[in-house]
Amino acid sequence: MDSSVPRFPVPYKNLSLDIKGNKTDVVLCSYDDHFLVIATQIGAMGTILHARKEEGVSIEPTFNVSAVFGKRDEPMLLACARQLIQHISISGSSRSLVISLGLKDHSAETLKGVVSAVIENRLW
Amino acid sequence: MAREEPDVKALNEAISSALVFNDEVKDGGGVQITCFSEVVNDVALHFQILRLLKQIYVWIGCDSAKLGRIYAAAPTRPKDMISVTSILGGASDNTGAGIARRLVLKTGLNIILACNIPKNSPMLEAEAEKMLVQKLIQLGYTRAKAEGSSS
Repeated sequence: MDSSVPRFPVPYKNLSLDIKGNKTDVVLCSYDDHFLVIATQIGAMGTILHARKEEGVSIEPTFNVSAVFGKRDEPMLLACARQLIQHISISGSSRSLVISLGLKDHSAETLKGVVSAVIENRLW
Repeated sequence: MAREEPDVKALNEAISSALVFNDEVKDGGGVQITCFSEVVNDVALHFQILRLLKQIYVWIGCDSAKLGRIYAAAPTRPKDMISVTSILGGASDNTGAGIARRLVLKTGLNIILACNIPKNSPMLEAEAEKMLVQKLIQLGYTRAKAEGSSS
């Protein structure tokens, strides 16, 4: 008498692409209250950032982006997370974003590549 | 004579061992993702394992699909002690920190663990850990016990 095994509830996508000659693995997961994005070129998660929308009284939302693990002084990573949380917000979702970036370089081109790959395959 | 792929053989073995679960292993190149769910005492436990080259990310969901608290654990030199830190949430709730620590012991890799098991459910925690470790062994992510000769 087996109780029916529940379906795995988290949608996710796993893809691989080339950014500036570096093989980049991107994983996106959609949890109930967060989106998780992992973009890695180094075989590890690298720096983990947390970005969330704060809804205040004013019409325009503000965003809070912070690095919670790893390099905390890389503005390009923060900018990347900020761009994505804004995109999430514009798409109508108020979920927070946890993004981990394990990249070989933090050039604008690389991060733009990451952002466009994520947006192209977004789960929101 | 068709040569059976190792994947199919392993799957057959798993099915015939009277353990029924949803098993999905997807390989997108560098990252292997394994997801499965089980029911324990009317509670659904969901597991997601992401295998990166030098790291493993694990999510344990208890009934809901919330991300939960995130912990990072790694072996630290010089004495190979394990350090665990809470990355997200976990201010008043350390459920899962122990699991993260023991996963590092078993795999020898850096671990990021996200876990939404509620506070004060040690039985559930233990069950979840048991199932997770079983799966990790099955996937070959754990390291052999007989390693080195430290006594």
